[in-house]
Amino acid sequence: MKKIILFIFIISSVAVSAQETFNVNGTHDKNHNFYAFTNATIHTNYLTTIENATLLIKDGKIIAVAEKIDLPANTVVFDMKNKHIYPSLIDVYSDYGIAKAAKSKTRNWTRQAKTNNKGAFNWNQAIKPEVEAGKLFKVDNKKAEELRKLGFGTVLTHQHDGIMRGTSALVTLGNDQANAVMLKDNVANHLSFNKGTSTQSYPGSLMGMIALIRQTYYDVDWLFNNKQVDEYNISLNSIIDNWKLPQIFEANDKLSILRADKVGDEFEMQYIFKGKGDEYQRIKEIKATGGKLILPVNFPKAYEVSDPYNSLIVSYSDVKNWELAPYNLGIVASNEIDFSITTSDLKDKKVFFKNLRKAIKSGLSEQDALKALTYSPATFINEYDRIGSLAQGKLANFIITSENLFAEKNIIHENWIRGKQHIISDYNIIDVRGNYSLNLGEKVYDLKVKGEPKKLKGSIQIIGTKDNKPDTSKVSVSIKVLKNSISLTFNPKDDFEKGTVRLSGTVTNNAAIWDGNGQLSNGNWIKWTAIKGKKGKDDDKKKKKESKVDSLVVPEIQYPNMAYGFDSLPKAETMLIKGATVWTNEAEGIMKNADVIIHNGKIQAVGRNLSFEGAKIIDGKGKHLSSGIIDEHSHIAISRGVNECTQSVTAEVSIADVVNSDDVNIYRQLAGGVTASQLLHGSCNPVGGQSALIKLKWGSSPEEMKIKDTDGFIKFALGENVKRAGGTSRFPQTRMGVEQVYYDAFIRAKEYQAKWDAFAAIPEKDRENTPAPRIDLEMETLNEIINKERFISCHSYQQGEINMLMHVADSMGFRVNTFTHILEGYKVADKMKAHGVGGSTFSDWWAYKFEVNDAIPYNGAIMHNQGVTVAYNSDDAEMGRRLNQEAAKAVKYGGVSEEEALKFVTLNPAKLLHLDHKMGSIKVGKDADVVLWSDNPLSIYAKVEKTIIDGAVYFDIEEDAKRQKENQKEKARIIEKMISAKKGGAKTQAPNGKKPKLYHCDTVGE
Amino acid sequence: MKNILLILLTGSLLSVNAQIETPAPKQTKKIMLLNGVAHLGNGKIIQNSAIAFEDGKLTIVANAAAIKIDFSQFDTVINIPNKHVYPGIIAPNSTLGLTEIGAVRMTHDYSEYGMFKPHVRSIIAYNTESKITTTVRSNGILLAQATPRSGAISGTSSIVQFDAWNWEDAVYKKDDGVHLNWSGMFSRWNGKKNKEYDKSVTKLNDFFTNALAYSKTADYPEKNLRFEAMRGVFNGEKTLYIHANFVKEITEAINFSKKHKVSKMVIVGGYDAWMVADMLKENKVAVILKRVHSLPQRQEDDVYLPYKLPHMLFDAGVLFCLENSGDMEAMGTRNLPFYAGTAAAYGLDKEEALKLITLNTAKILGIDKTTGSLEVGKDATLFISNGDALDMRSNDVIGAFIQGRHIDIDNHQKKLYRKYSGKYTDQ
Repeated sequence: MKKIILFIFIISSVAVSAQETFNVNGTHDKNHNFYAFTNATIHTNYLTTIENATLLIKDGKIIAVAEKIDLPANTVVFDMKNKHIYPSLIDVYSDYGIAKAAKSKTRNWTRQAKTNNKGAFNWNQAIKPEVEAGKLFKVDNKKAEELRKLGFGTVLTHQHDGIMRGTSALVTLGNDQANAVMLKDNVANHLSFNKGTSTQSYPGSLMGMIALIRQTYYDVDWLFNNKQVDEYNISLNSIIDNWKLPQIFEANDKLSILRADKVGDEFEMQYIFKGKGDEYQRIKEIKATGGKLILPVNFPKAYEVSDPYNSLIVSYSDVKNWELAPYNLGIVASNEIDFSITTSDLKDKKVFFKNLRKAIKSGLSEQDALKALTYSPATFINEYDRIGSLAQGKLANFIITSENLFAEKNIIHENWIRGKQHIISDYNIIDVRGNYSLNLGEKVYDLKVKGEPKKLKGSIQIIGTKDNKPDTSKVSVSIKVLKNSISLTFNPKDDFEKGTVRLSGTVTNNAAIWDGNGQLSNGNWIKWTAIKGKKGKDDDKKKKKESKVDSLVVPEIQYPNMAYGFDSLPKAETMLIKGATVWTNEAEGIMKNADVIIHNGKIQAVGRNLSFEGAKIIDGKGKHLSSGIIDEHSHIAISRGVNECTQSVTAEVSIADVVNSDDVNIYRQLAGGVTASQLLHGSCNPVGGQSALIKLKWGSSPEEMKIKDTDGFIKFALGENVKRAGGTSRFPQTRMGVEQVYYDAFIRAKEYQAKWDAFAAIPEKDRENTPAPRIDLEMETLNEIINKERFISCHSYQQGEINMLMHVADSMGFRVNTFTHILEGYKVADKMKAHGVGGSTFSDWWAYKFEVNDAIPYNGAIMHNQGVTVAYNSDDAEMGRRLNQEAAKAVKYGGVSEEEALKFVTLNPAKLLHLDHKMGSIKVGKDADVVLWSDNPLSIYAKVEKTIIDGAVYFDIEEDAKRQKENQKEKARIIEKMISAKKGGAKTQAPNGKKPKLYHCDTVGE
Repeated sequence: MKNILLILLTGSLLSVNAQIETPAPKQTKKIMLLNGVAHLGNGKIIQNSAIAFEDGKLTIVANAAAIKIDFSQFDTVINIPNKHVYPGIIAPNSTLGLTEIGAVRMTHDYSEYGMFKPHVRSIIAYNTESKITTTVRSNGILLAQATPRSGAISGTSSIVQFDAWNWEDAVYKKDDGVHLNWSGMFSRWNGKKNKEYDKSVTKLNDFFTNALAYSKTADYPEKNLRFEAMRGVFNGEKTLYIHANFVKEITEAINFSKKHKVSKMVIVGGYDAWMVADMLKENKVAVILKRVHSLPQRQEDDVYLPYKLPHMLFDAGVLFCLENSGDMEAMGTRNLPFYAGTAAAYGLDKEEALKLITLNTAKILGIDKTTGSLEVGKDATLFISNGDALDMRSNDVIGAFIQGRHIDIDNHQKKLYRKYSGKYTDQ
């Protein structure tokens, strides 16, 4: 014991005030007393609880926590009997004390190419890594109090603005000089997928933001490794300075966590992700990121669904998410992902504990909850040596509660921050609520006291007569309590007193007895007492209502968690399709009464009278089997913008970064026999972004949908969209300008490559004094085209511009791979054939723009007849699900044979996408991507019965009907639950159902 | 006789007519189409038919084997074995002739300024020279309801036939109806409740109440053009077309027109109409059903719901037909027969499906006394296809008549096809 005491003095002699450097007005008022909190249940950390223990603090720090401590003489002792002490909570995702970034008052209608952030900063206004929350921070006691009431003692705060947001500061929630509150600045570095207040046009899409982050990291790398570079860039230097700090990325939905992680991996950077609460929907992939999570307890309100028609507006996925959201934290915890909890998404912070308790009822253990509010956030920012538990030497940041922190009845009494007391709910306050019999001399009244301790509501029951009639009215009583003094005023207007009764007295005996003197309206003094009776009945009633509803059984999560989502993903099967009409797309042509074996995801055999042991037999009699439809031009399954419109050349952006696996149109297109799609950038700019090639593996993650080992593709665009997009101030405005954009881009790309080649030629040892060229992702991509590693699909209409691009390509030494849309291809089919470019066109679209006035539905047939590889594409979520019918139009308009016409949507797009070695025909060894049709696939009467990808059945017309019914039942079940939640007092929101945006080539914005 | 036969069967492709398609002269000869498969448009089919017409009207529609034909009675007898004959397809709720190029605003004549404009008449803007119309009629669509768009009341439509020099001779039924766009209860953009809904319905109520009161006075001293245009809605001369899709809006629209004593009301759109089929039948409200080739409106809807709606409405006994409004509506009108084809693929009998673009449409538009089906006494507005016209593989229109006039089914696109096919074959 002596040892402890000795140690104490050593510490205290070292302790220095947090504002030692400040002048004091008047007499110094220092207090170096010890404070001891005895007889408490102390939760020293999320794992350990000591009963009947003592916490000893001094000068804002913890001196000791133990069952028994010998208290020094100068100790102020607080008896904590029946009370709990916890380390105060930590929120690492706050903007406390940081002014919001100023928004530009005038809206920017025209394109803003340059940053408005004047100074030696980054070129892009949304990249602000130089912002330091520590320098912006001001104590805001009102906001601090809001969080203190919830038991928080420390927050990590930063300015929530921009894509790179700068660093955060760790501050306590004390009401003190900022110097006494801040624990550290430059604690973590912050990023997001949100431009915030930036008025600069670029980036205008999520993929643009991702590309910008990538490019910025390359720039940082370049500056860091090349000291000779002349450019002084405060922003990039800040990133270098803060590279080693914890990096916190606000991803704000499950897929964006995966996206951010992918970027991080490229630069050996592991982010901590701030999520949105839907992580349970992709938990396997999120765990695989290795990232820690910061998660909100912000659950959606139940929808107002009492009108059954209105409930149609609310989507199945929103209904599902309402039920599952409270399970998120429990699911994350049980998957052993480190996470902390933040209040940041809560508009009304008061619901924090209510929601947290909901999460606990839905499977989150109390231990994990406490961990996520103390240990985890502290360790995320490497501050566990100061905060996050109660241990010797740590900050005296703790809370005193009436019960277990998570208990329904718990009251947070006090929140001590750095040894300073903040009373939240005074435990010394005398709670006078209850039922009393109030005696005024001979007269007895029944008195009820309700309300909040600071806002009491009293009433008395009159039992008597009034105007000679029985009187049982209630009269309200004004009650004021100050410490132990109590005063009551009321006006019974009964036989006893027509005027006002005023009483004053003392509360004693743990509020069970009040007594004192009072005065009546006639001036007479009277003795009075109030004696506490039994508990009221009301309290019990309430309890019964709650309970039930919540359950620890996690409701079923579907993949994706929306209508038609799978319970479990389909697996490759061994199948024998017997006796079908097989459209092989090979020399065998259309084989009647043929068999096809599918095994290990591949076509195993094609022929007649085949057998395979263990194969599932599918009767193909009267049915047709074709290759899966491939859509060369699709814009489904894309998140937050299909166009990066803001510059004429945006080769650096990629749709592959923003594939959205949660688009119901994936399923709808499976129902139309589509198995693979090229997800293309839009047609805003001459050089658009890179494509994603996906298989429509509904239920899989974006990464799993992407086709492995493919050539790269990129979207180019010509004509009206390019001219009109980006307003009237962006070059080019004419077809003349478009040509020059290309020459400029490719000449720059070649010069760029030449620089690198020259650099590579310098011997390693001589490089020290020569700065390396800067990696420019735009130029890198253009060089991929020149080097035939990436291939162009060019949005095009008029023959003149088609001709132009072929000339550009010829002169730059590459070939255009595909002209997409190409509605005037028929005018230059011979030139296209000579260049070796394919045409992916619409069957019969025209007249939607001036440049398609000469579009004809015979276009496909003419190009085909000239030997051009022709595909029909959709560019439209609706048309994408009946491309077989569009292929049939090649028969109608121009008399293409049925066999060749079907190739327009199967083999030919496979060729254009360089996938024909494994897709596009029913040939042994190719991927088993096939469709079973009820009829000739070109017939309007044909229906898809099965769509198979890699040997797994992703769409089955019977399963579809079943799932539709199950979805209906499931939605009805949850709606029933919403209604009972509403009856139980849950707040609701008006029905709403934002439909996902359908993208076309020319869709601008997110 | 031989001449016509040649023109009919091969004319559309071989005629090297460089001129713009010219309206045909009035029918003077008596014509008989013999041995074709006649799809009457009323649900019936005659495998081996004899169809005759003179002065623009059908005189015989019969089984060729079951009647005695005096061939000397006809100037022209055209033998069309294995070919299919259909009544001219009618496109309701269409902007054909009112627009030419989607992205060029100056070519748009369907959307007038203002909210309440029943007095604005589409027929005035109807362009008989539209290049789009010629591409549509060569797929068998021969009539349309030229319909204005936008605002609460977008204007008054007229029904036109596609063979005319000027809008005056294009008119088939002038000023047939007034179009009302029922305000959405939920925003189309963000799905949130439309806070203005109540207000906009109140305004509509107010307008209709006043229009009805106005219509009671025959010769109003001070004319109100809007109210004048509304008279027909109350006295039976005009149909009120209410465009609505959401079930509650449809219900409201029906109650609204009852309340205001509208003589004939039709729902246009009607995505949810199947949910209130009984109410529609009870009130004799027909539906012009939203484009069949469209996406389901709700995530959990049957993925094929738009394909199945025709069958569902048919089973429920509602009178309805098909339309094509929406994206690229004018040029896409040529796909109207395929919507009927899809309706057939998803449960409807093929001849019933044909009704949805012919006789049912005529009934709903109030022109079924003279057109919409191949029946004696009706207009000889029909076309001949090499195969099943409801399937794109076989829809191959080789000849067409409007009111007996043998129309030119060539178009700008076919000309370009010939021109550029020639470029390669001549090289």
